Amino acid sequence: MKQRCAVLGIGQTHHAAKRGDLSMSGLVREAALRALDDAGMTFDEIDAVVMGKAPDFFEGVMTPELYLADALGAAGKPVFRVHTAGSVGGSTAIFATHLVTSGIHKRVLTLAWEKQSESNAMWALSPKYPFSPPTTAGAGGYFAPFVRAYIEFTGAPEHIGWQVAYKDRIHALKNPYAHLQMPEITIDMVKNSPVLWDPIRYLETCPSSDGAGAMILVSEDVAEASGKKVAWVHGTANRTEAILYPRRNQVLPQAGSDCAKALYKEAGITDPKREIDTAEIYVPFAWFEPMWLENIGLADANDGWKMVDSGDTMLGGRQPINPSGGVLSSNPIGASGMLRFLEAAHQVRGTAGEHQVEGAKKALGHAYGGGSQYFAMWIVGAEKP
Amino acid sequence: MQQPIDGVLEAPYVMEYTYRRSLGPVMSAFFTALRDGRLLGARTASGKLVVPPLEWDPETGAAIAGLEPAAEEGVVTAATWVAAPEPRHLLQEPFAYALIQLDGASTAMLHAVACASLEACPVGTRVKLVWSESRTGSLRDIRCFEPVN
Repeated sequence: MKQRCAVLGIGQTHHAAKRGDLSMSGLVREAALRALDDAGMTFDEIDAVVMGKAPDFFEGVMTPELYLADALGAAGKPVFRVHTAGSVGGSTAIFATHLVTSGIHKRVLTLAWEKQSESNAMWALSPKYPFSPPTTAGAGGYFAPFVRAYIEFTGAPEHIGWQVAYKDRIHALKNPYAHLQMPEITIDMVKNSPVLWDPIRYLETCPSSDGAGAMILVSEDVAEASGKKVAWVHGTANRTEAILYPRRNQVLPQAGSDCAKALYKEAGITDPKREIDTAEIYVPFAWFEPMWLENIGLADANDGWKMVDSGDTMLGGRQPINPSGGVLSSNPIGASGMLRFLEAAHQVRGTAGEHQVEGAKKALGHAYGGGSQYFAMWIVGAEKP
Repeated sequence: MQQPIDGVLEAPYVMEYTYRRSLGPVMSAFFTALRDGRLLGARTASGKLVVPPLEWDPETGAAIAGLEPAAEEGVVTAATWVAAPEPRHLLQEPFAYALIQLDGASTAMLHAVACASLEACPVGTRVKLVWSESRTGSLRDIRCFEPVN
């Protein structure tokens, strides 16, 4: 029989282009201590630590989970590293959840991070292989054709991308931890920003951030004994597919829709458009909001852009998407999935602060990575599953 | 050595990137002090002195209580011999790599000991720190250790 699991503590760093004030271990420590403080716990009470981040050569530290163990009070405890490209923050939280739902541990610290100022993701994603011309494309160049394909298939107007970019930066102004704080943002600014990779404009892309996110996941008895408001995990799902195979739909990958279906089944959700009050989804380029809305069934086929256009996805709208400002406002790569998951937990605990979706009872956290290959999702609720 | 096979291609594959490091408050203070010719250790809440310092107590994960000057003399706790130093080594004469526990420290640090042979540097040998004349904020600011007669 599966045990229940709850989010008791949530913490994150103040994300920024460069956290030069902190070492890598100082960065993860800042998030971990905030999560412990939120849970009313100390390192001594933690049974196991589960860490995620992007590939080691982003920062050039091999097996950083060992290097950072002291900073996380993990000496003498089980320490695990999860590795699923950009979706890793989500997969890490899921792995940690399973340590609780399986009854193995009662109090697990899960944490994901990236220190992009000490790294170069563009370099790490586009190595120059012998006998091949360098693509020097990075993530934006890789994903731009799929955005173009989405626009062609659905007939979505160009302003949808501007609108998502604008909305998430407006949301970020309500989140003190968000990296980008752009009170001056307008739709025209997005529209007039340069095209980096057709059709993606500069302000339709995520920043490069230093940051970490952490959660304390606990068993039902620990959650109840705490007397605190928790977020209950209602379901988790991971799916992965190869980057290239014949007839692969790279715009709406099967792994993404399969993952969502498995998630809704586990969480007992039959009508995600109505039962989910808000979602934090991994949108590093603005157009991925309508694409993922369709991929995970929050919008019908070809209608994702209409949901954006109607204003449904703004705070105050029917189903706010990324009320925290999302990846478009903070992107510490490895941590970005964890931030989606912990922001969903904030929403159902009612602790999201200024970006709280009023009365949110069920929220979805979503992360993807690689060439739209790795998917990780969870649903958390205010009530026990 | 394996001979190339006709018609089978190979090419070097070099991956290189110059990473940056932000040291944080503890290690920044440590390296700044080295530049100024001072060696610091980290005092833990349980009273141990960790040299070189760590940001967090390795036993408990607690923040360190503070940094304080470490002794510049100590004893060798283990050593090995470098018979043929390469240009990148700290010393160009044959030398010992040793773990050195400074007086009052709870941990040992790795550094070079300038001595005539490994036999001249047995466990328990008392050594003292020799500073480099030009210092930049690196472990090379310590030129080496040498036996105390």
